[in-house]
Amino acid sequence: MTMPSERGSIFHAGALAIGQIGVARDGGFLRTFVGSCVAVVILDRRRRVAALAHVMLPAGNGRVTPPGRYADTAIPEMLRLLDELGGERSACTAKLAGGAKMFAFASGIPIGDQNVSAVECLLAEAGIPITARACGGECGRRVSLEVATGVMTVETVGHGTERL
Amino acid sequence: MTKRDHDRTAALFHAGAAQASRALAAWLDRPASVAVDRLAVLPLEEAVTLLGDDGEPICGCAMQVSGGVSGVLVLAASDPAGLMLADVLLGRQVGTSAAWGDLERSAMIETANIVGCGYLNAIAAGIPSEADAGVLPTPPWFVRDFPAAVMEAVLVANAAASDTVLLAATEFRIDGVPIRCGLVFVPDAAGLGLLGAATGVE
Repeated sequence: MTMPSERGSIFHAGALAIGQIGVARDGGFLRTFVGSCVAVVILDRRRRVAALAHVMLPAGNGRVTPPGRYADTAIPEMLRLLDELGGERSACTAKLAGGAKMFAFASGIPIGDQNVSAVECLLAEAGIPITARACGGECGRRVSLEVATGVMTVETVGHGTERL
Repeated sequence: MTKRDHDRTAALFHAGAAQASRALAAWLDRPASVAVDRLAVLPLEEAVTLLGDDGEPICGCAMQVSGGVSGVLVLAASDPAGLMLADVLLGRQVGTSAAWGDLERSAMIETANIVGCGYLNAIAAGIPSEADAGVLPTPPWFVRDFPAAVMEAVLVANAAASDTVLLAATEFRIDGVPIRCGLVFVPDAAGLGLLGAATGVE
């Protein structure tokens, strides 16, 4: 069963777009595509509740909507949504995918690396262990989380598929 | 964007497309055209689906543009359209190329270079010279990936500054037949400022 959030704009039945958060309970799939963005999954496998956020930037710097767009607003919002669905914070784990450097011309610290670092820090602060990741590289990823099993499938174009 | 604002801005991009048409026709040595088929201010969530949202891989050659109307320019194509372009350029019968090898990639990269630079230079020529509108694109970077992942990488530079982007997309025709190939230009904040100064659009 896939549940809409009370905050409305952050639920989509299909693939989540930039900055969106999807939540689900008992079954179904949560999906998105990422390049330099990071797909963040937080799940309580025993209670079979999960949230997936499509994080685009490490920090909102005062901007808070949509909450899924920024790592520093996405993680708290995901935890709040999971609480509403009956998830137990101490039982939650996380999985990450994305953070690629798609174009070689990008200068400075790649935004994908910044996104992954920010998410890792925020999850550590929240006491959520990361149990699997498929991050970095130069390719986009199609991410699909099967809520009932907690298995995250990460597909790439030309670089294979991983089940995490 | 009001209709008047749209028309003023579109005039610059139409000039770019006209020059890109000449460049493409000369490059392919056959009738070819590039036309602006979408100029709009879109929310990021909508812009990311411009190249498709079905997960079918596309190829893209991206250039970061600095110096004037700055931003990111991408020549994007479906596999069949991109490989058809490669066949034309390599003097092969259309349908010969079945996968992206070095030659096919090189053909796509050079097409992006020639057509993209024609497009950008004509846009820059429409900017008052005192604005120092000369453009400096990086060499094209070839990717073959999910459409949403390609667009996301194009848009990410704008996401910190705005929830929306100005997006100009073109359609290619070869021998009068539209193909799933086109240029997508997303100006960054500085590029938008220059375009606004040239067109009077805020």
